[in-house]
Amino acid sequence: MQERRTFVDASWYVLLLIWSVSILFPLLWVFYESLKTNQEFFHDVWKLPTDLQWMNYGDAWTEYGIGSSMLNTVYYVGVSLIVGTFLTAINAYVLTRLEFKGKKLLWGVIMLSLFLPGINALVPQYILMRDLHLTNSLTGIVVLDSFSEIAFYLLMLSGFMQSLPKELEESGAIDGASIFQIFFKIILPLCTAGIVTVAIFKFLALYNNFLGPFIYLGDPDKYTIGVAMYQASQIMQYKADWVTLFAGLMITMIPLVLMYIFLQRNIMEGATLGAVKG
Amino acid sequence: MSELSNPVANAAVPGVNWNRKAKFQKRLFILLATVPMFAGYIVFTLYPNLLSVYYSLLNWDGIKEPVFVGLDNFGNLLKDEFVWRALRHNLILMGTVTPAVILISLILAYLIANKGYRFSSLFKVIFFFPNILSTVAISLLWAFVYDGSFGLLNAGLRLFGVDIGNYYWLGETGTAIWAIIPPSVWGAAGFYFVIFVNAMSTIPKSLYEAAILEGASHRIRLFNITVPLIMPIIRIAVLFLMLGVFKGFENILILTNGGPSGSTEVLGLYMFNIAFGSGIHNYGYASAIGMLLFIILVAAKLTIDRFTANRDSEF
Repeated sequence: MQERRTFVDASWYVLLLIWSVSILFPLLWVFYESLKTNQEFFHDVWKLPTDLQWMNYGDAWTEYGIGSSMLNTVYYVGVSLIVGTFLTAINAYVLTRLEFKGKKLLWGVIMLSLFLPGINALVPQYILMRDLHLTNSLTGIVVLDSFSEIAFYLLMLSGFMQSLPKELEESGAIDGASIFQIFFKIILPLCTAGIVTVAIFKFLALYNNFLGPFIYLGDPDKYTIGVAMYQASQIMQYKADWVTLFAGLMITMIPLVLMYIFLQRNIMEGATLGAVKG
Repeated sequence: MSELSNPVANAAVPGVNWNRKAKFQKRLFILLATVPMFAGYIVFTLYPNLLSVYYSLLNWDGIKEPVFVGLDNFGNLLKDEFVWRALRHNLILMGTVTPAVILISLILAYLIANKGYRFSSLFKVIFFFPNILSTVAISLLWAFVYDGSFGLLNAGLRLFGVDIGNYYWLGETGTAIWAIIPPSVWGAAGFYFVIFVNAMSTIPKSLYEAAILEGASHRIRLFNITVPLIMPIIRIAVLFLMLGVFKGFENILILTNGGPSGSTEVLGLYMFNIAFGSGIHNYGYASAIGMLLFIILVAAKLTIDRFTANRDSEF
């Protein structure tokens, strides 16, 4: 049933455009401001830069130690992502497709965490990490974050695993495959789509995690990218080198923008998958 | 079932042995999978949660020996005007950000799902984009927008002939708490928009046809047909948002760190600064505030869960 386009339709379309502009323009603005000199920057907010100061990006890279904080971030995100995703996948398999004593209890204990807001555990968690000598250490937050948010991701993957036919394991067993082979050679490849979704979400959460690294990492040479940018913004009170800060902000957003361009479909589908389950 | 399991048992000639081996392997597999994860979960999640109850009964700066003070921290908490001020800010943010996000994302979703505009999928991609950005990036971006001397907001107002000089929106007690709201809405709306679009696209078009024949406006269609049909999802979204906004403080930590003079302090940030801030640390009192947050959040969740369950059964 097709309705006629009216003036009202057109005005609603403007609303969509306004919201789009409110998202895109600030980002675009940060980009072109990051290519100005500081004089131009304070002179006129709207004007485009006359000469493109790409050197601001180099300055940001060296001044804020973005190179080393990127490496720290790669280590922290990479290891937590691999360990966390593997633990999620193998436990989703065990808890959805295998029968054993105490399975209900394990599910119950895990689901309990959906009820815990987590904020009250911040202080004891810190003391615990301190007693374990895991503070001020990237490996420390890797250990901590490999085990975080289990219930949410388990639910996400177990839905996937339940939809696989039961005959998979049976035919594998007939062929003489061990349970290890069944999991690694049959189940994991079939769950790639679900695992990718979980991995994307873990990646975003880890790359964007600020509070954990901020609490636990003291040395500037251990900062992740988020903490490095926050500290860079804090010194702006004393030295007004804004164009460099803008360039630094652009650098931190580049990996996310690239990922979004390539994986936006997975990300948007995964978002709603998680929401329906959660 | 028996037809299927027989070949398994007969696969290797001494069938019993094979079975025993397979059983052993399965048990080993289950142990290798669950033990590390549960150990980590118990140590890093459950244990700290339990410990927070105990810590809230201590007077402890983290260095000297802890002193057990019973419920003193909670007594002080009730008398602490900063707690009440922070709680008021929590409620302001929860009461504004939640409806703003829901309303904006509902309207945008309705337009995309029902109007058949051009470039709908491009709009979807753009609207969702802020959700992949970190709190640090969003907060810095908005701090730039609000800045007095080079901020976009003041420059934009000047275009309309409103010159307020170098007014720094986050630096004045009158506006700081309100300036926290737009970044939160901006960062969250896209997520709920995508959820609502997907929910709306499952509504059969035939349900709208009678309304269209009777000449019902889009406003009536949205609020009388679409919204009631996706109500369960809207309720979950409201619950998520309310609890999330209530306990969130990262954005405020970065934007203002509670200032100026405490005008943007929220409970989580107050707790955070008592435990990790630059002043004297008081882990006991911080844990007591954490327990207060815990009680409020769990009570709210239970109440809303019950409330929504009852409402659902009426349909």
